[in-house]
Amino acid sequence: MTIPSTLGEVLAQQGVSRRALLKYSAYVASILALPAGASRVIAENLAKARRQSVIWLSFQECTGCTESITRSYSPTIEDLIFNLISLDYHHTLMSVSGAAAEHAREAAMRENKGKYIVVVDGSVPVKDGGVYSTIAGQTNLAMLKATAKDALAIVSVGTCAAFGGIPQARPNPTGAVAVSEIITDKPIVNISGCPPIPEAMTGTLAYLLSFGKLPELDHLGRPKAFFGETIHDRCYRRPFYDKGLFAESFDDEGARKGWCLYKVGCKGPIAYNACATLKWNGGTSFPIQSGHGCLGCSEPKFWDQGGFYTPLAAQAGVSGELVGTAAVAGAAMGGAAAWIARRHQRSHLAEVEALDRSPPAKSKG
Amino acid sequence: MIRSNPIAESDRVPPTGLAVVLVREIAARLATFVATGEAAAIDLRSLPMTDGDRRELETILGQGDVSAILTVAGTSEIWETAISGVWWVRHRSVDGHVASEEIVVAHVPDILTTQPDDARDSLARLRSLIENDGAAVQSLRPLDREFAGQTQGGQ
Ligand code: SF4
Repeated sequence: MTIPSTLGEVLAQQGVSRRALLKYSAYVASILALPAGASRVIAENLAKARRQSVIWLSFQECTGCTESITRSYSPTIEDLIFNLISLDYHHTLMSVSGAAAEHAREAAMRENKGKYIVVVDGSVPVKDGGVYSTIAGQTNLAMLKATAKDALAIVSVGTCAAFGGIPQARPNPTGAVAVSEIITDKPIVNISGCPPIPEAMTGTLAYLLSFGKLPELDHLGRPKAFFGETIHDRCYRRPFYDKGLFAESFDDEGARKGWCLYKVGCKGPIAYNACATLKWNGGTSFPIQSGHGCLGCSEPKFWDQGGFYTPLAAQAGVSGELVGTAAVAGAAMGGAAAWIARRHQRSHLAEVEALDRSPPAKSKG
Repeated sequence: MIRSNPIAESDRVPPTGLAVVLVREIAARLATFVATGEAAAIDLRSLPMTDGDRRELETILGQGDVSAILTVAGTSEIWETAISGVWWVRHRSVDGHVASEEIVVAHVPDILTTQPDDARDSLARLRSLIENDGAAVQSLRPLDREFAGQTQGGQ
């Protein structure tokens, strides 16, 4: 049997038809918000592409990101991505361990020099020389620098790798930082979320394979296709927000009627992510649809933004009551409530940024 | 078995009027198709449609003469709407959830036609069957004769 060199040949040997690839490409074009006609181009490019070597490094993390990407128990169209990449190192998923695992990583780096992609989940502790997290006797800091050196690009999956996440929450005892604070000379894509939406991870990898370049990114390095709009922009409860109809607590009449969750702490207006359209668990639901406000987990410092149940406006120093009143008036004034929320969104972000600029809380040790 | 998505709370949100706007968009694409032959596709999943909007669009466009089931990496349902040249393409994943959904304006959606690479692979498989496996070829013959007989009988 000849050794296949292109993905088209790999798939043909595995009995995956070109029609299946076309179906997968329609799905990729859809989740990446590309023109629907792009699916034919994606299919043709994928068929010609080479299998992509991927080295996955897990640092200060909870394995939630890996759980998210491998959430499916049955083979689905989305899983085709796993035929398109060669996952050469992932210490949770690979069968070998110890020295053999590290040799696999080194071999992949040698054989695919300058061409492999490094996926990182988890933040990197830098305090005290990075001793707070090590793998095979190497600090995460040293392993990241060594592995990133000859990489084509880095994909930081999860809010911890992208922005520091929970390990970085005050008082940040280990000096946790985002990957982008350590690696500054490689293209980096941030797929934030705690965990990120699986389609955002697989879709970004599929884009890289199809077009040989990074997708368009926002100012925080996130693919605009998934992070271009807020949850609030696409929320099905938005008509209630615009009419000033809010749940005041989790068991009141408003909650039962499915009204807007702004007053019980929803961070949808400042959270850029695709949960409201792609949803979770195969399109079943997302937190707001299940009756809980958005935590804003795809945003930097989400853990330190005050209480999850404190309304945004109250956190930004504006009375939540005032917004409620203004939003009720908004029902008569068209988009006024939305405008007020946008203003609060901006002032809230300014406040978070100001907090960032202030010296960090002192931590001992 | 196809499992439709569970009834979402968003079902309770009445249609927003998006379906009516989309019909105008579809009409514009169909006009181009009629004039120039240029095919087009509109991705429904990327639009903030409620299930009510989706149902409304299905009702407006109706059901035409052709429908097809594609069984590759999950089931896909494809049908020509009552508007000739306007097709609804709904791809489901193996576990039944909708992976992508498009309105395609074309003679036939691309995915229904035989892909040249698949035809090439099939030819290679058929040739290797003929060359290497006489028994399998034998088993093809009665079918072949039967088919020929039917054809002759029909003439
Ligand atoms: S505040 Fe939250 S629940 Fe209300 S419309 Fe915005 S995203 Fe939806």
